[in-house]
Amino acid sequence: MESTGDELSINGKLKSSRVREFVAPIPLLSWLLGALVAVALEHYIGTSFAQTLGLRKAPMLFGFDIMLKQPTLIHSALTYLVLIYFLPIIVVARLSAAGMNGLAAILIDYPLMLTVLIHLGMLYAILHWWSNMSLYRADVLRFTLIAVLLTLSLNLINGYMGEFSCSHPGFMALGAYASSVFTLGLFADDRVFGPALLPQWLGPYLFPVALVLGGVVAAVGALAVAIPSFRTRGDYLAIISLAFMFIVKSLIENLEFVGGPRGLGDQPGWANRPVVFVTVVLGIWIINNFVRSTLGKALNAVRDNEMAADAMTVDTRQTKITAFLFGAFWAGVAGGLYAHALRYINPGSFGIQMLAEGLAMVYFGGLNSVYGSIVGACSISLLGEMLRPLELFKWIIIPLLLILVMIFRPTGLIAFREFDVKKLVRPKQASDR
Amino acid sequence: MTLLQIEKMTHYFGGLRAVYNYGLSIEPGQIRGLIGPNGSGKTTIFNLITGIYQPTEGQILLEGKQLNGRSPHDIASMGIGRTFQNMLLWRHMTVLEHVKMARYSKLTYGLVGAFFGTSRRHREEAESEQVAFKLLKMMRVDQYADQIVLNLPYGAQRRVEMARALAMEPRILFLDEPTAGMNPDELVQMMDIIRKVHGELGLAIFLIEHRMRVVMELCERIQTLVFGEVIAEGIPEEIQNNPKVIDAYLGKETVE
Amino acid sequence: MVFFQNLINALQWGSFYALIALGYSMVYSILMLFNFAHGDIFMVGAYIGFGVATALVALTAMGNFALPGWLVLALTILISMFLTSFVGMFVERVGYRPLRDAPRASAAITGLMIGIILETGNLILLGAQRISFPSLIETSTYQLGGVVVTNKKIMIVLVSIALSFALHQFIRRTRWGMAMRAMAFDYAVVPLMGVPLNRIAALTFAIGSGLAAVAGILFGVAYPVLDPYMGILVGWKAFVAAILGGRGSVVGATLAGFLLGFIEMFVPMVFPSTFRDLIAYSIILLILVFRPHGFFGEPYSARLRL
Repeated sequence: MESTGDELSINGKLKSSRVREFVAPIPLLSWLLGALVAVALEHYIGTSFAQTLGLRKAPMLFGFDIMLKQPTLIHSALTYLVLIYFLPIIVVARLSAAGMNGLAAILIDYPLMLTVLIHLGMLYAILHWWSNMSLYRADVLRFTLIAVLLTLSLNLINGYMGEFSCSHPGFMALGAYASSVFTLGLFADDRVFGPALLPQWLGPYLFPVALVLGGVVAAVGALAVAIPSFRTRGDYLAIISLAFMFIVKSLIENLEFVGGPRGLGDQPGWANRPVVFVTVVLGIWIINNFVRSTLGKALNAVRDNEMAADAMTVDTRQTKITAFLFGAFWAGVAGGLYAHALRYINPGSFGIQMLAEGLAMVYFGGLNSVYGSIVGACSISLLGEMLRPLELFKWIIIPLLLILVMIFRPTGLIAFREFDVKKLVRPKQASDR
Repeated sequence: MTLLQIEKMTHYFGGLRAVYNYGLSIEPGQIRGLIGPNGSGKTTIFNLITGIYQPTEGQILLEGKQLNGRSPHDIASMGIGRTFQNMLLWRHMTVLEHVKMARYSKLTYGLVGAFFGTSRRHREEAESEQVAFKLLKMMRVDQYADQIVLNLPYGAQRRVEMARALAMEPRILFLDEPTAGMNPDELVQMMDIIRKVHGELGLAIFLIEHRMRVVMELCERIQTLVFGEVIAEGIPEEIQNNPKVIDAYLGKETVE
Repeated sequence: MVFFQNLINALQWGSFYALIALGYSMVYSILMLFNFAHGDIFMVGAYIGFGVATALVALTAMGNFALPGWLVLALTILISMFLTSFVGMFVERVGYRPLRDAPRASAAITGLMIGIILETGNLILLGAQRISFPSLIETSTYQLGGVVVTNKKIMIVLVSIALSFALHQFIRRTRWGMAMRAMAFDYAVVPLMGVPLNRIAALTFAIGSGLAAVAGILFGVAYPVLDPYMGILVGWKAFVAAILGGRGSVVGATLAGFLLGFIEMFVPMVFPSTFRDLIAYSIILLILVFRPHGFFGEPYSARLRL
């Protein structure tokens, strides 16, 4: 018995090492090219191919909706996934690997920014094409991207700074309301704020101002948590932040001019896919820059041992206040995007539920890690959408999954990993792991 | 000019007198020692000078500048580097990150640089990496640069902490029991390193030690502290033969 | 008159908060954990109480013998405490014990998730409709100089005060209580002293959950409508009260629970009632900013270990 077990495991190892060998020399550019081919394929033949397979239309979220609703069609959905996504991506990526490695090697001599822009351009093309298939996909894409930004900003405080902050829904609410008031007040004929003050066409250009305003308001609100953090840390700060969240929620419920508990609606829909994508990418870039600098690593030093940080010339107060304000700023920006993507906000949506979701994304993906936040936000939001056909059972499966992750990897799946763009885009060799 | 001058420093914890009427003056390049039984207030004196506690009375001057009332990071960037008795390392950070962190006050790129990755930031970070590597080499731990510091052997951790304290380019280095918990080999290494730091960088060093051999071999002058008061001060031979010291300290503990 | 009427109501709400806060506070003091599932254990306790009460009423009807209402209520409370304590121990076994050496924040996350599972599980089992708690005792109303007092309110306040007193005595005087205090004092040393850590953890959760079940039943007696999300609103407030009371203080948690009840009842006397949460939490925030360790907690701020 034992020997067969060993053989099996050796087989498994061989297989996984073979997969690794196959995948190792593929640079990121090739993967993107493969994905681009896959979405192009879906765009042109997806629907008709799905109908030949007996599906009503192309599976919207990787076939989960079909598989869960109509188990008899599982094979069709799987065939679709393999033929439209899996095979094209693998084949194109592998075949183009040599060429793309050459391209990546050439790009090394140019500024990193150019390489990054090429990658991002391809990524956006993929996402845009993919989400063009349906309005539903476009919404999933936008809200997933917003979730990434929110998760990252929460990770700044909970992961990098090591404070269990519960105030993020509050920051997000501040941002959402501030930017909504800005856009509704200036550009919309609104029954609350009266006629538009500025011409409509100017609006989209000033939308970044609205987002920044949302971020700044959130950051100012964050002072209420940042200043107590000079004296208090740990559990009591967690409660202060929790109280802050409830205060913001209740404050907005009592502000009649923003609609009170009924909420605020009809924001101009300026948070379209390109705007959300660019904002979120910008946010990731700036946050990643920050956490990789010595000023950003000071957050970790304060978290791991404040006294030592102080003795090594780190200005701990400035570090704490930066962490809270910076984290709150991006939460506020995410709130602004959320308000203009959903086009309706009410104080009830910025409560415990949102806190639980945000925390779930951070801790699932991994603390102290930009990779982790991206992975966590994408997996939890996509999982939430994909398991939708299960209705209530979704809220059993996702929490169970998270509990398992916590038991086996208490700091999350990809914790304490640096997001090194240079490493990500460089050409790959077969010997690379 | 006197590097560090402390006059009549007294400190109370609540009603408990921890340090009484402590005085010290260190010239540049000196190695000074502070010995005393457990709980006699040695680490408290370090913490008072480095700003973790504020002395109830007395004044502390570094190159003529008053340190009282300043925050610890301020005092540190004015030129007092230190290590801790129980090595306060950052458990999730690599060796290189430890040493670079102590360059915090030397960085001028500010938040703009941190957010947008300006060329100034890249230049300064590269510079501080160079300094860090130089120090890591000096401490013979450069091979561990990218490792999480808690995975290192004990002696190496001590040396990383020393490199970290040196990275802030201090005028004077405070070492709080640098050989605590070390085996004889590590002890000899550490003494070599202290000599090297003193010789190559010309630093003044203020040392708390338990092991007589270390203080006696390294220090020019030694103070003995009992219940927060200095009972004897002098060159090693004087301290060794001082009956009060022998009575209060040496008599009760084994001399290494 | 309005003042005294509010006082009675504040005492009643304070009783709920205090009973739930005790469970939070015990877990927090002894195991250094935020048991975010506790609000939902309160909810489960209320439902178990509903089940037990219904079953008891049906049994007496079948057997054709009439038990007095207060006896049924007392039996309901005892049986539900017993049953709910197993829910608590189960939660501890599944969600917290595997994470004992993990960062505390991770354990807080599992607690949050277990809470969601309990809510959803309830929805799946019993559906979304609200359930009304059987009325076991007749309401009798007393007029005391214009202030209306019901026997239910008096009972609720008395039961909760008696239980927190009993818990206080248990922790002060018994061997188990002493072990708990030792554990609260130094977590790491306890196993060395031969005190079975796991058993104390289970006991802590059992007691906390039992008290939450009592709170649930009393809540059902006062407001006979149960719904799966009832634990969220009451639970989070009680959690805040527990921390406000200070680590390791039964008296503190009880008083903070009552304080919260008072704030909530007296704010609407001066401000519009929609300001209730706003002012309650603002007061809490101010208290914590100026007294960072709660009312009775020792000045010991535990870091969330990462």
